[in-house]
Parts: sequence; C-alpha cells; structure tokens
Amino acid sequence: MAFVSTTSVLFILFISISGKSIPNSYIENRINLIEREVDMQLGSELVLNDDEKLANEILMHWKQKEIEESFRNPQYFNFSKHYFDYKNDIPKSKVYQIIRGMPKGAVLHVHSSLMLSADRLLNLTYENNLYMCKNEIGDLQFRFSEDIPKWPCHTSWVLLSDLRSLGDATKFDESLKNYFTLFSGSSRGCDKIDINTIWRKFEKISNVISQLIIYRPVTEKFFYEALNEFYNDNIQYIEIRSGLKSLYELNGTVHDKLYMPRLYRDVAERFKRDHPDFVGVKLIVTRHRLKTDEEIRKTINLARQVKQEMPSFLAGFDLVGQEDLGRSLSDILPLLNEAKNDLKYYFHGGETNWYGTSTDENLFDAVLLGSKRIGHAYGLIKHPSLLMAVKQYDIALEVNVVSNAVLGLVHDVRNHPLATYLALGLPVVLSSDDPGVWGADPLSHDFYITFMGVASKRADLRLLKQLAINSIKYSTLDIKNKEALYSVFHTKWDVFIKQVLTLSTNL
Amino acid sequence: MRAVIFILFFYSVYASNIDEYFDKRYRILKSESRTSLGGNVTLNDKEAAVNICLMHYKFKEVDYWFDNPRYFNCSRHYFTYKQYIKTSKVYRIIQDMPKGAALHVHDMGLLGPHYLLNITYQDNLYVCFDNNLHLLFANAPPKSPCDGKWQLMNKARNSSNNITKFDADLRNHFTLFVKNPDTIYPSIRETWRAFMKFFITVQPMLSYRPIWEQYFYDALKRFKEDNIMYLEVRSILPNLYELDGTVYDPLVTAKTYKKVIKNFMKDHRDFLGAKLIYAPPRKVDRVKLEEYLELAKRIKQDMSDTFAGFDLVGQEDLGSPLIEFVPQLLESASELNYFFHAGETDWYGTLTDENLVDAVLLGAKRLGHAYALPKHPQVLNEVIKKDIGLEVNVISNAVLSLVRDIRNHPLSAFLAHGLPVVLSSDDPGVWEADPLSEDFYIAFVAVASRLSDLRLLKQLAINSLKYSALDSISKVDALRKFNYKWNEFIDNFDCSKYQN
Ligand SMILES: [Zn+2]
Ligand SMILES: [Zn+2]
Repeated sequence: MAFVSTTSVLFILFISISGKSIPNSYIENRINLIEREVDMQLGSELVLNDDEKLANEILMHWKQKEIEESFRNPQYFNFSKHYFDYKNDIPKSKVYQIIRGMPKGAVLHVHSSLMLSADRLLNLTYENNLYMCKNEIGDLQFRFSEDIPKWPCHTSWVLLSDLRSLGDATKFDESLKNYFTLFSGSSRGCDKIDINTIWRKFEKISNVISQLIIYRPVTEKFFYEALNEFYNDNIQYIEIRSGLKSLYELNGTVHDKLYMPRLYRDVAERFKRDHPDFVGVKLIVTRHRLKTDEEIRKTINLARQVKQEMPSFLAGFDLVGQEDLGRSLSDILPLLNEAKNDLKYYFHGGETNWYGTSTDENLFDAVLLGSKRIGHAYGLIKHPSLLMAVKQYDIALEVNVVSNAVLGLVHDVRNHPLATYLALGLPVVLSSDDPGVWGADPLSHDFYITFMGVASKRADLRLLKQLAINSIKYSTLDIKNKEALYSVFHTKWDVFIKQVLTLSTNL
Repeated sequence: MRAVIFILFFYSVYASNIDEYFDKRYRILKSESRTSLGGNVTLNDKEAAVNICLMHYKFKEVDYWFDNPRYFNCSRHYFTYKQYIKTSKVYRIIQDMPKGAALHVHDMGLLGPHYLLNITYQDNLYVCFDNNLHLLFANAPPKSPCDGKWQLMNKARNSSNNITKFDADLRNHFTLFVKNPDTIYPSIRETWRAFMKFFITVQPMLSYRPIWEQYFYDALKRFKEDNIMYLEVRSILPNLYELDGTVYDPLVTAKTYKKVIKNFMKDHRDFLGAKLIYAPPRKVDRVKLEEYLELAKRIKQDMSDTFAGFDLVGQEDLGSPLIEFVPQLLESASELNYFFHAGETDWYGTLTDENLVDAVLLGAKRLGHAYALPKHPQVLNEVIKKDIGLEVNVISNAVLSLVRDIRNHPLSAFLAHGLPVVLSSDDPGVWEADPLSEDFYIAFVAVASRLSDLRLLKQLAINSLKYSALDSISKVDALRKFNYKWNEFIDNFDCSKYQN
C-alpha cells in the first residue's frame, strides 16, 4: 500500500535525525490504526496490476502537486469557492485531463431534460417553426407550430427565426442561452442567495427547457445529442430520471404519455447501434413531489404500464423537486407502500441541510420503503441508524457534489459529507444530477472535484476505479447486461491505462 | 458504532401494513434520538415545563427559517448576523441557563475590543504607529523597534483632531469583526493573518503585570456573568513586565494565574475556579519543545492544583505536526496531561489531519476542535473507547474559515452519534462573541437537530464538568454545585419573562 510505505519513510527520516526515537510499539499502533482506516476506505479492496500501479504514480504525482500548491496558498484553492468561479479553470488541470479520458461506467442519477448543455439546446432553437412569447412574469414560452399558436400568451407569438434575424444574432443567442443555464460566468448573485431562490431559478430553467423539448422531432434530436455528450465523456450506460410528458407534432397532434418512453427507448436503441461500445439506457419514471395523491397515483399507474410494455427499459419510480418544499414521503406513504411490490424505488432522500425536519426524515422512509438507491442522501451523516442500514442492506448513495454546491447545500466542498461516506466505505456512486443547467461535464467535473476536493489527499486510482465499478454494480441491469457492461468497461479501462502511461510526470 | 441495536430495528425492514410501518418508523427514530447526546437524560416535571417553553420558541425560530430560508442567518458569515442573536428568545433562555465550564479558551482572546480599548486609557501606555499598532507600558519612551515615533497614548489621543475617530481606529485593531467579512476575509489565509495580528498587537499591552492581573480577574468575572462556573484556560505564558522594564520568566505568569484565581474565588464563593493549560506555539523545533516541556513540569511541581496540562497552539496547517514531537511527548506523557488541538482543518489526508491520530495515541484527555474527525472512523472509535472529550468551538470554526453554512459543521454528526462533546468558545473576545452563550445558541438552533431539546443543553453543561481536568472529588463537588444552580434556574424559570 502506497500510503503505508510513505508513512514508513517518514518514520525512518525522523529516527535518523533525532537523538530520541519513537518506540516501536508506538509506530506499530500508529501504522495499525492508519491501516485499519485505509482498509475501510472506498477502493481499498482493489489490487492494481503493474500497469495500473505505474499509471497511479503518474496520476498521484499530479494530484499531490496540485493539492500541495493549494495547501501552501489556500487563497488560490478553488474548491472552497463557488463552482462558477473555478469551473473555467478545471480544464487546465492535469488530473482533470486524465479523469476526462477515464471510462467512468454509468451515470445513475441524472434528470434527462437537464442533461444537455446550453450550447446544444441553443442549436435546437434553430429548428423551423419555433414560436416564442413571454408570459406575465417574463418567462419564455415555446411552441412549434405550422401557424401562429392559438394558446393565449401575455405577449404575441412570434417566430423565433424572425426575432433572431431582426438584430444581432450572436447577442440574441447569448441572451437566449441565459434561459437555459444557471451559469453566467461567475458566482455573482449566486453564492449569497438563499436555497429557495436558487431552486426557483432552477425550476424556471427546467420549465423553459421542457417546453422546447416536448416537440416530438426535437425530443428525438435532443435525446440523441444528450446521449452523445455523455458518451463523449466516457460514460457507457445511463439511468435517466424523467417525468412522462405528452409529446406533440407540428400539426398539433398530441401523443399519449406512453409515447415518450417508447421514443426514448428507440432513440437509445439507435444510439447503441451507432455506438456498439455503449451499453444502453434505462428509465426511472418521476413525478413532482408537490403533486396530489391522485396525480401521483396516475403516474405510478403509467409507470406500471411502461413496465408491462417495456420491462427491460423501466428501472423504477422516484419523486422529484425541492425536498424542503415538497411533500414528504411519509405523507404519501399509503400510496407508495401499496406500489412497492410492482415498482422499484430510487428516491431522492435527505437533499437538505435541515436536520430533524420532515425533509430530513425522508431518509428513513426511503430506506423503509426499500429504495434500491438513495438520491443525494446528503443528510445521512446525521443519522447513525441509517448509516448502518445502507451498509447492511447495500443501498447505494447517488452523490452529486456539483449539484449540492450549486443548489446551495455546501460552500467549501471539503465540508461535503461524501468525505465521510468514502472514509466509511459506504456504497457510493457519483453522478451529476443536472449537468446541463450548470454547464458541467456530463460526469468528469463531479469526478474531478470529488477526487481533488472531497476525498483524502492520499486517495488514488483505486478510488476512481471503484467508483466506476460501483456505478455498474449498483445499476439496475440484469446479470447478463451487467456482465456486458463490465466487459466494455474493462476493455476501455485497459486502453485508458495505456494512455496514461504515455503521459510524463515532468510536463 | 451502536451497530447491534440499529440492525435489530431494521431487520425485516419491510413492514407488511401501514400500522406496522409507522410503528417501526417510530421505533427507529426513537432509538436514534436516544443515541444522540442528551438522549438518556430524563427531565423531571419542572424541567419538562421549561422544555415546553424552550421548544416553543425554538420551533418558532427554526420553522420560520425553514419556510423562509432567506432569513436563515446561520448559512452566512457569523459577522453578518451576530447582532440579531440578541433578539432571540431561545438565546435569552440559554444566557440565563447555567452552562457549567468553558474548557477551550485562550487567555488573550477572552475579552473583546470594548475592554481592550479601555486599557488604552491607563497611564504610562506608549503607542507607536507604523504598518502595525505597537503598544507598551513603560515609564520612559520604549526602545523597541518601530518605524514611527513612540509617544504616550494619552498625548497621541489628545493631539488627534478627532478622539472618537481615534478610538474607533484603535478599536479596529482589537477585533476581527468587520461589516463585509466575505470581502475582507476571502480565504483562510487572510483570516488567520488578521487573527495572528490581533495577538501580536495586544500581547505587549496585556502582559504588563498589573494589567494582566486585572484583565484575567475581569475575564473570570465576565465568564461568570455568562453563567459559567469553571474555566480551563490555555496560555502561551507571555513574559510579564514592569514599568521599569523588568521582565519576568513565564513561571511568574503561571503564579500570577494562581494568585488571581484565588482572589477571584475569595470574592465569588459560588465560582468553582480555573485551571491552566500551558499551550505554547507549535511552530518550533525539538529543542524549543524540550524547553516547553521542562517548563510545564516545573509549573506542575509548583502548583499542581492549578495546572491542568499541556497543548500546542497556532494554525495547525502551518505548524509542526505532532508526529514531529512524538518521542518527546511520549516521554512526558506519564507526567503531563495532554489537551491537544487536533484536526482543526479541512485538509483531508494531510499531515495536519493526522494530528488526530497522534493526539489519540499520545493519550490526549481531550481534543481541541477535532473538526476532521468524521473523516477518520478508526480515530473516532478510539475517541469513544477512551471517552476522550471533544472541545467543539462552532463560532471559531466559522470565523476562521473552516465552514460557512454552520449546518455543515461536523458537530451535528458528533451529537447524533452521542460522542463526548463539550462546547467552548476558543477566543470569543476576538470576534466579539459572548463567553459561551452564543456558541451554545448557534449549536442548539442551527447545528443540532430541530428536535434536540433541553436534555441536550443539560448534557452539554454536565459534559463540560465531566470532561474537565478536576480531580474526582472536586468533580463530584462541581456536579453537585452545578445541580444546585441548575435547579435554581429551573425553579425560577418564568416563560413569560421571554415573551418580548
Ligand atoms: Zn436529482
Ligand atoms: Zn484553540
């Protein structure tokens, strides 16, 4: 173990420069304690082969260098600042460049409508027949239509292409893009506003985007593009969360709600055909947690239908929206308890800083309702019984570090509870929640920030590999497909290691 | 940790019907609440009545914040909301509550700018302004280096055009408080620089012997007024001096402590006293450390009843890690009790972080801060096994740039796991906080569970005596006196007093 050997070197150094030496028993106790701790950490069980060991040395060379520089000059340490203030510095990092090229397995917690970057969304506004207007409170409304849409709107409907050609198209596009993202170049105005205000902005963006992408031809393009962005970030499999929306055609035809999962499945199949080293997509059907029992029941029934029709495409069910403001799981309990034999659950739970509140208690219900994985589980660290339970029942925690930072839970990511989850060796998978909204990589930023800002300075390639493996292990794939994913992953992993070995440590 | 109990509860997790479900849920929540700190305290009827009043106001505050997070102050910098604390009813109750002991405070950070500014009105104080503020008591202009001119403070003040402004400028040197903390203190580097500068400025003024004696006496008084009955004070033991330039060795400083404590106790019979933890700077070599340890042992010999033990201070990230001194510290471990600062850092996996390991292996009786402990499950196990008190200083950690939104402070996990926590205030004067009440308040309403109640507060107060360095007989006596004060607080409690 690299860690222990470093420590031993240190000891030898001390013993030789000092008249007094450290008693052997102390050294033994110390190594013993530290080793027990290292053995618990996520990734410690992995044994690296010779090539991996060499690659690890290169990786750790850069990691130690970056961290030591920050340690000496904490005023330049990015991760204690807002993500928006350092996001543009990330590509310069050697460690990031390595992680970017690393196969990362699966993304298990992402909301499909918020996967795609603002630039690509902007491209979709170049589609023909797109009309736009603004409602009373200045929110954008989109509608694809042959003629001027008949929907009432505060302003009149205009063709977006007409608007764009009226003046400076670049400026127009820039301002349009602002409706698709929280990121505006810096944290100005973001890092001091309260959590409800951030969420309001977030849900606004989410609404604008979903209006753009429920037009059937755009849905297809959008989803294919999104898969492509993820694929290019070295992701091999995705479980998307999505509400069931009614897609429509240019002539106004509206499809039923099962049309959308079918279309997603078909696009995923097409993408797979075009990219044989991509393993596929599954769907977790979601509903907003503010809805009534009746509305939620409807979606649960629809999810049952999706399951019947496309059993291998449906992963399960979840509730979404700001946990603090939404209904708690225990409030909807009878309904959820009744459906738990038909549907697997992947609940968001404990995405909050409010300890001892009903939001916080969602964690208990997520576990008691048999959730296969828990989204965020940010508050878990405050619940010793649940920490035991997730370990005992091997319930994976879907951690989204950048999301938690942007959505106002934590400022300095070194205070993120993930550090403790990694130290305890809990079943963690890293994901990215809504990377399009904050302009993050599909997954590489989350991996990089976790590796450099949250995990131990000594955590190495084994952690990264274990996180990738976990994303496969805790996916919903059946055994056969899991094997297929493992095999794609390992092939890519070997190529990746070879690539790292061509990097030098003295660039 | 309490693995067995919890696994039993979760066994056959999935309930068959709703009643069974809620029953199971209730039992798990209940068992978690019992595990948390204070969970085993039973309240008598009178206490239960006080608790109802306390929780009425706590729920009102917390639920208002939950519904209106833009008014939740504790996710911002302490300096931006400290003025609002005084209006809280929960705070006022906590102020009146006996809080036991303050076990982690540094002598020169005990009193705030108001008090320090008053000292500058004493005779024989010389001042010199260059990039820094230099202060020294003397009967003739001092010779110590300064780029400006030494003059008597009274003269400088009177010859300034504007005395109010002069004093306001002076006061700024005696506090870290600013109106725009995020601009002035963008990172831990700026905060610690300002923090160190504070000590460099005030030390020469405070270590004039008569001032030192008065200062410490008044500090004890101020703490007592905040309903604290006992202190363990960390000191670097500065060399005291006289007007004529006589400089004493640190042993005299220690003896001064003993004398002042004795005087104070004579004047305040219900005060339990104070002890001294010798805590010199950690950024030294082994030769210097040897001197420290020798001095510690001498003090112990001279005044074993006042001397509690040994510690090292200064920003942990920049100082020598404990491992550097292990041979020496281990050798002295049989003679000295250790109360090490450890893990006061956000840097996971660094040598600073490993101070936690060595502090525990060196047999520390308590750990100062232990902020990084949740990242070290095995050290945490040792803490439980050896029942090592954790001295948590919430406001200090916020002001000194470890955490911004206080709800992310690891204390919440410590409390949930029922770890042996004591609350303290580190250097309350430097950030103009109360001796202890504000730390208690913030921990109670913002760090602890919404559901934590009077039992937590009582347990924290009891812990502060339980984990003190008092010998067992004095401890029993201390707890008896605390109970007396506590019952007095409960008996005299009048909820309507806090109504407006
Ligand atoms: Zn999510
Ligand atoms: Zn301290």
